[in-house]
Amino acid sequence: MNYIWIIFKKELKDITRDRRTIITMIIVPMLLFPILTTIATKIISSQTKKAQTKTLVVGLITYNNDTDFRNILQSREDLTIVENITEAQIDTLIQSDSLDAVIRFSENFTAQVKNLEPGDIHLHFKSSKDLNVTRNRLTELIKEYEKTLLNERFAHLNLERSVTEAIKTHRHDVASKQEQFGKTVGGIIPYIFILFCFTGCMYPAIDLGAGEKERGTLETLLTSPVRHLHIIIGKIGVIALSGLTSASIAFLGIVLAAVVHPEIATRLLNNVSETFNIAHMSFLVLALFIPIIVISLLLLPLAIFFASLLMAISIFAKSFKEAQSQMSPLTIVILLPVFIGILPGIELNVFTALIPVLNLSLATKDIISGTISPWLLVEVYSSLILISMLSLTFCVKWFEREDVIFRES
Amino acid sequence: MVIVKNLTKTFKLSRQQKREMGEGFTGNTVDAVRDISFTCHPGRVFALLGPNGAGKTTALRMIATMLKPTTGTISVAGFDTVQQSQDVRTHLGFLTGNTGLYDRLTPNEMVKYFADLHGLDGATFKTQRDHLFNLLDMNEFANRRIGKLSTGMRQKVSIVRTIIHDPDVIVFDEPTNGLDVVTSRNIVRIIRDCKEAGKTVIFSTHRMGEVNQLSDDLAIVHQGKLCYNGPFETFKSQMQTPTLEDEFIRIIEEA
Repeated sequence: MNYIWIIFKKELKDITRDRRTIITMIIVPMLLFPILTTIATKIISSQTKKAQTKTLVVGLITYNNDTDFRNILQSREDLTIVENITEAQIDTLIQSDSLDAVIRFSENFTAQVKNLEPGDIHLHFKSSKDLNVTRNRLTELIKEYEKTLLNERFAHLNLERSVTEAIKTHRHDVASKQEQFGKTVGGIIPYIFILFCFTGCMYPAIDLGAGEKERGTLETLLTSPVRHLHIIIGKIGVIALSGLTSASIAFLGIVLAAVVHPEIATRLLNNVSETFNIAHMSFLVLALFIPIIVISLLLLPLAIFFASLLMAISIFAKSFKEAQSQMSPLTIVILLPVFIGILPGIELNVFTALIPVLNLSLATKDIISGTISPWLLVEVYSSLILISMLSLTFCVKWFEREDVIFRES
Repeated sequence: MVIVKNLTKTFKLSRQQKREMGEGFTGNTVDAVRDISFTCHPGRVFALLGPNGAGKTTALRMIATMLKPTTGTISVAGFDTVQQSQDVRTHLGFLTGNTGLYDRLTPNEMVKYFADLHGLDGATFKTQRDHLFNLLDMNEFANRRIGKLSTGMRQKVSIVRTIIHDPDVIVFDEPTNGLDVVTSRNIVRIIRDCKEAGKTVIFSTHRMGEVNQLSDDLAIVHQGKLCYNGPFETFKSQMQTPTLEDEFIRIIEEA
């Protein structure tokens, strides 16, 4: 055990002095989300503002229907109306950006409205630009016009507007705030944890395996009286720690992004439930404390599994570059079960609890929601411990093979 | 003492390696070392001489327990390299031409690491380290990162790392490879010092000049087979050519 600790300490000291490790393990996870959200927020906000304040050039085809709609459009300072266009020209004019949109009345619009039928108004626009702001602005104007027509219609029929409402639905969600939060946001968290745990293990695994081989230090280490078992466990310990650190820092990065841009957190929480708001977060922080601990405990055997797998690949490779190229495709293999876990209809059950990575992905949702079955949690944990022990054993056996250690370029 | 008896090492070839052997090659294996036997005595320098690919490094790796013999036995300081490999490594120091150092550690940290792996207690380590650092004039750069050191400095660190635990047997595998004359002197000096201290010293080389300078006993290896094994003085007295290089080539060609 002492040898393992000696090797663990040395490898930890060595790896934390490597600039590339610090960048991939700490800086990237910490800053990635805050920077991405900052850039996305600024770009979206600037583009949206630009589109909302821009003076729109709108074509209008009324087919001689005498309506108040033209007056509504002409009264707007942020619109310029163009009327001398034909239906055949609409697509070309919008595609070429000569017009931002075209509003076309049906030829019998006035007759439709008089007969208390819905009048047809065609809104032509290009969805691929300006985040649909043009469409939304003009739709609002059309709705405003519809309101005036409806008010006239109801006044003519001597009816109140409320007669159009036959049913008023009252929704009562019995799911707790924690459950609501878990089922939606809980799907994203395992994605972050698992991805960063894996990528956090990757670089140290390459450096401690293939890197040692390439530098010639592995041979030196093998002449010391330490057993191969102790060497590999010491190294895997450092690699797993690196993965766990990376995952934790990525999670902190998300929290930092939410603090720096609370408007994004608000929008996200609104997607969880219309009754959810930032005030509920303070309650959730306390309620989620234990779930986060439980998830961290699940992440530990997963980190050992990743570390063993990556170390086995690394020690087989002849060089740093070969190890890197062999490991990169694994990222997709690892993310596949995570992605499956996010899909609707895939639930944690007796069978899915046995599948590594997928089980953690599904369990995280249920743990955060506070709805996980204790038996399933035990099954998930057992499955992860089993796979971590099997992969560790394989890596130890692999490291004892002469044709693996001395596989040189 | 190191006793090597009927040592053979056979490697299984991969498909690519078989292709690289050429069209005429039909086997699945290659014998890197074929039935060699020799003894290295304490207080004497044993030189293992041979051209590139002769099997020297393979033989030395088996002595250092990194590889297991296919057949034959090796005894190092009274311990069998297969059955008692950990004990062998406790009594053995191994240095290669590739210094095998960690660039991000300092010489102090590097030497401490290997001292810990060899189970040296704090006081013994300090005494040994101070003695060797003073001997090789290393105190000035002892706390500088190894990656920033010159080749000569790195070689000194490598030497200290090899002998910090005061091993009985020291193996040098082509230790002066890639080194200039000035830097090589440290190696030559340490080999002599170890011999005078009564250690068993084995070094491999493909340079006759080093053999002439240092060795007491000589084994010449070619294509895995032993072509000569005996005292260096006997080798010189039985020369049939005017120079040591010519004699070496003659023996290789006859084999």
